[in-house]
Amino acid sequence: MATMRVLVTGSTGLVGQAVQRVVSENPTEGEEWIFVSTKDADLTDFEATEALFQKHKPTHVIHLAAMVGGLFRNMKYPVDLLRNNLHINDNVLYNSHKFGVQKCVSCLSTCIFPDKTTYPIKETMLHLGPPHPSNFGFSFAKRMIDIENRAFNKQYGCKFTSVIPTNVFGPYDNFNLQDGHVMPGLINKIFIAKRDDTPFTVWGTGAARRQFIYSYDLAKLIVWVMREYEEIDPIILSVPEEAEISIKELAEMVIEAMEFTGEVLYDTTKSDGQLKKTADNAKLRGYLPDFKFTNMKQAVKETVDWFVNNQDIARK
Amino acid sequence: MAAQNGEAKRTKVPMRVLVTGGTGLVGQAIHRVVQEDPCEDEEWIFVSSKDADLTDPAATQALFERHQPTHVIHLAAMVGGLFRNLKYNLDFWRNNIRINDNVLHLAYENGVRKCVSCLSTCIFPDKTTYPIDETMVHNGPPHDSNFGYSYAKRMIDVQNRAYYVQHGCKFTSVIPTNVFGPHDNFNLEDGHVVPGLVHKVYTAKRDNKPLTVWGTGSPRRQFIYSYDLARLMVWVLKDYQEVDPIILSVGEEDEISIKECAELVVDAMDFKGEVIFDTTKSDGQFKKTASNAKLRKYLPDFRFTPIKQALKETCDWFTENYDTARK
Repeated sequence: MATMRVLVTGSTGLVGQAVQRVVSENPTEGEEWIFVSTKDADLTDFEATEALFQKHKPTHVIHLAAMVGGLFRNMKYPVDLLRNNLHINDNVLYNSHKFGVQKCVSCLSTCIFPDKTTYPIKETMLHLGPPHPSNFGFSFAKRMIDIENRAFNKQYGCKFTSVIPTNVFGPYDNFNLQDGHVMPGLINKIFIAKRDDTPFTVWGTGAARRQFIYSYDLAKLIVWVMREYEEIDPIILSVPEEAEISIKELAEMVIEAMEFTGEVLYDTTKSDGQLKKTADNAKLRGYLPDFKFTNMKQAVKETVDWFVNNQDIARK
Repeated sequence: MAAQNGEAKRTKVPMRVLVTGGTGLVGQAIHRVVQEDPCEDEEWIFVSSKDADLTDPAATQALFERHQPTHVIHLAAMVGGLFRNLKYNLDFWRNNIRINDNVLHLAYENGVRKCVSCLSTCIFPDKTTYPIDETMVHNGPPHDSNFGYSYAKRMIDVQNRAYYVQHGCKFTSVIPTNVFGPHDNFNLEDGHVVPGLVHKVYTAKRDNKPLTVWGTGSPRRQFIYSYDLARLMVWVLKDYQEVDPIILSVGEEDEISIKECAELVVDAMDFKGEVIFDTTKSDGQFKKTASNAKLRKYLPDFRFTPIKQALKETCDWFTENYDTARK
């Protein structure tokens, strides 16, 4: 009988696949990892979730499953994003408590922070004001994970915690141009431009700066959090401010990785969005001063290569 | 809608109103308002936990199917005093989230035209400026002692807005300040300041002992009589069109000190014994003023029951119903 049985929800997604990679590279004796997805259980349904926990009797949980969407879906379906995520999260946390799970790590996001805020953002600022209205359903549901973690700890002493990644990217991402995020969007756009021999257009001036975290690095850190991080309060998982890159630099890395030699245009009529959204990774640095993130160029190359070689299964 | 004779003008619309939490402090007051002024084409159904466990979606669905309401006033909640909240933050969060989600979602699914839920001034940010107004609900974390309850209540407003954006539903909420009246919870551990004073004076009078008020008596609070709140909630149900919440309270000018409140209760109950202020006990915040500017804009002529009369009615009710009152 395994001493540690880890249930990973949302395991077929961007982060889940990276956790699978990390675990397969470093198998530990006495550990059993169970990767599940919607095919195994509809987590919005309490009975189905309970049956899943009953079947696997996990000692630990990494909870990545969520209903997510791009800007348009978020704006159109706030009820669904709010309710489905509230239900999923409550079902997973409640059953984690019911089945005596020793540690449950859930996944938040920097996009749920207060819309009006100072920078850099820190973990303590999560609830200091309302989130951006465009995704308020999703944001409030995610914030409630932190509330529920604290309530479970206060009433039952449960060790439920959460992580807050900045922009994640990697293989198995959603490369859809409508719904996806900036990195997979650039990759898909350049792929199409290269294939169709058309120019590649970047929206905005390219000056906006962002912190990106490779899914593989995030996965390593999430596994560390599950094993060693003892706080209930969330922890931001991100490269430091010095590693921020501009959208222009990012585009150039992708262009190089994909060997795109066509024309590159910057449509400066399109909005840049916020110039900087810096998240502070001081807490992480306090715990792991020597953690080395994968070199950005290499991470981009691996992601690009995966996308090019997996056109049949890539979500787009 | 312009007010006439200081009374909230009401639009006539055929409706079947389901009132959850119908047997509580506010529910009973709505019952009184509706009985005093019955309208043709209106059916009011007051339900309580005896009729359905609202934490259960199937039971809530059955309730909606049975009554087919066109409107809902949603007052049901798991509530408690300071000690219960501190101990059971999770239960306060989970049960209220589920109650509210069941009621709102089934209201949507059953085509309810308007749903009015009840928030509370205690859910506002702990660190805030005063007076507080409706726009400030989500501007920071609530007081830690009842964060489970507070966040669950705040989510009503989030969910109302989500239903409006996605489905065009007219779900809204009210934010009363300190409510008091007949049918309150007069328990000294769990109850709030007015029922606590009423119960204490009753006991002091009965046992011929002094009345001890905790603190100096100088903090000031806005109180709203449940009967006035009920009248306003019926107005909100019929005529308030916003999704954003509205504070229902007397104005800042009608704030009274705890000392003045105690004196009014002492008068109302004809208590002749000694009144002591235990100044070793904390006063709590000096003022927690809520702005009722939004209400005044809609109903400039609404007249609140004078506090002396409201407290007298409450004390008389408690004295006459001592045996059955919640305490």
